[in-house]
Amino acid sequence: MISREALAFAAVGAPAVTALVVAVAPRRFVSVLAMAGATVSALAAGALATVALARPGSPFVEHWVIVDAAAGLFVAVIGAVGLGSALVSPGYLASTAESLVRPAWRSRTYYGLLFSFWAILAAVPVIGNLAGAWLLVEATTAASALLVGFSGKPRALEAAWKYLILTSLGLGVALLGIVVLAARSTAGGLHALSWHELAAVQPGHAALVAYLLLLAGLASKIGWAPVHNWLPDAHSEAPAPVSALLSAALLPAVLLVAWRASQALEPTLGAGAVHSVLVGFGLLSLAVSVPFLWRPLPWKRLLAYSSLEHMGVIALGIGFGSPLALAGVAVHVAGHAIAKSVGFYAATPLYAHDPRAGLHPSRGIARTQPALGSVLGGSLAVLAGLPPSPLFVSEVMIVAGGFAAGRPWTAAASAALLALGFLGLAHALIETTAGRAAPGGSAAGRPGGLRSVVVLASVAGVTLLALTAVAVFIPGSDFVDALLRGAG
Amino acid sequence: MSGGLVWLLVGLGLGVLVVRRRSLAVALVTVQALVLAAAAANAANGADAAAAAALAVRAVALGALLLFVVSRTREPRPVRAGIAPLARGGLAVALALALTWLIPSFGLDSRNVERGVIALVAFGVATVAMRRATLFHVLGIVLAENGLALAALRLPSGSSFAIELGVAFDLTLVALVAAVFHERIFAEFGAGDSAALRTLRD
Repeated sequence: MISREALAFAAVGAPAVTALVVAVAPRRFVSVLAMAGATVSALAAGALATVALARPGSPFVEHWVIVDAAAGLFVAVIGAVGLGSALVSPGYLASTAESLVRPAWRSRTYYGLLFSFWAILAAVPVIGNLAGAWLLVEATTAASALLVGFSGKPRALEAAWKYLILTSLGLGVALLGIVVLAARSTAGGLHALSWHELAAVQPGHAALVAYLLLLAGLASKIGWAPVHNWLPDAHSEAPAPVSALLSAALLPAVLLVAWRASQALEPTLGAGAVHSVLVGFGLLSLAVSVPFLWRPLPWKRLLAYSSLEHMGVIALGIGFGSPLALAGVAVHVAGHAIAKSVGFYAATPLYAHDPRAGLHPSRGIARTQPALGSVLGGSLAVLAGLPPSPLFVSEVMIVAGGFAAGRPWTAAASAALLALGFLGLAHALIETTAGRAAPGGSAAGRPGGLRSVVVLASVAGVTLLALTAVAVFIPGSDFVDALLRGAG
Repeated sequence: MSGGLVWLLVGLGLGVLVVRRRSLAVALVTVQALVLAAAAANAANGADAAAAAALAVRAVALGALLLFVVSRTREPRPVRAGIAPLARGGLAVALALALTWLIPSFGLDSRNVERGVIALVAFGVATVAMRRATLFHVLGIVLAENGLALAALRLPSGSSFAIELGVAFDLTLVALVAAVFHERIFAEFGAGDSAALRTLRD
């Protein structure tokens, strides 16, 4: 039997090798090799996730590698979104000729960066050390910033610059927190920063300040309010497959780092302090996102603000920390990733169908292009939490988990904000699908890339319904017990 | 590490915030990193010597890269910041003092070094916030990370080499990507001025 350590290396190594292969392969083979590499990478991620989730009670924990229930969940999400992004990338590359690099290098540069980004992302959940996780998160910035600005258009350059500078500065603040934690640790060397040694940090005000610096810095990368300014710009200007990776894989992966650090430091700082910080970020992110969800926004910007909302919901669930809330978090991470990535994938055919959709709200798409309208509507319905969306189940679990955790006022405020967010997205859903379409705005015929998006959306729809069915059995399972225990 | 050396590093950091020319600011952060490398080399143990080497290589490589970028994107006149140099300096010092007051001692071997670290990080943040030229944004990040390098050198547990190496790797990656975008922004907008990057708003 293959060891879990070997599977972790395979889940990271497969996309890394693909990045190297597409960088040197002859141009006519790049796309085929990318598809083959994506399939192998997703299979490796799936194998790791299966093994990790089959035995959640006995995690593999070393100083530098960890394969536990959380790693299984997040690697599965990254693998699924990575595969989807690779599959719709030919549609994106065919839809535009603009890029940062000359045409002969366009395809290999794009796929090289995409697979590098995927490989680094896949390493984040399985790294067993806070310093290593910081390094990987910072490395994602370099790869993904180039992808955000890949089109080379002025708006994309602006978005990429903001993303690069704000997140790098934020991660600098997080590194200050890590240095302070290292200074406060009773264990020596870098092993003092491994997830299971982090509890050896001496308690006191300085440890609390270090935790706050760490969370504030990571918040800038997760996109939690009030340090989320780059998020709507980067998500809206990146190529659609990259937007999906940013929203559905990168944000949750960095959030996992914050989650692991919080769990590791809980014995030192006290559950109250740690949970309150997370709940604070969650509630603020929800409150900031709601007014934007009520505004008519271009499709990808609307999805970006929805990411802010959903990262807030996940932060609330982790902050509540009860078994029910953590079960909700697991369902939410998976459901959000699937629905959000389909929403972003649909942007490529949407822009082909309605070229103004990049700058203006989309209206009446189901009237002019029913298949595309169904995909957009389905994605928004799931993200809004319309039953039988798994996000409806997860949000109920998280709010109920808040009451169970003895935070009735916060849980009630969360429920109110979620209801307001639902109304905003429900309005956007009606306008996008059945609203009055602007005259003369739509191109005739089937938009390019629609077929692959419809196929992916169908698979996603079935998966989401299955997730809803399974979700009710998750509370009380060994999986939730493992999430509660963390990596310590 | 002597108090004088720490305040020299802080003074160089303040210089980055107030000087007008990009090349001068690049020189200041490079000298700052080299001073840090020299301080690490003076320490007795082998880990600090390795950290000093990592710092020195990073300082020279980044300095060369940033000066190369400056030479390829000559501005007809320096991009003016919205805030006057004296006001910038005053605001940054106020931020540094406030943070020093808020953050308790965190376990480095002297409170002076801790204050220096906090001041450098504050100056880095202030540089990004108050300077309009895109290259100064990169310098702000380098400045803050020089502060973190100072902290890593004074860690009692001896993990400084790994942290210096990590910071060097990270900074080099970020600076390379920033250099690509800086050149494209310069080509697209005719200046490396972040004021041109304000179209994406809701």
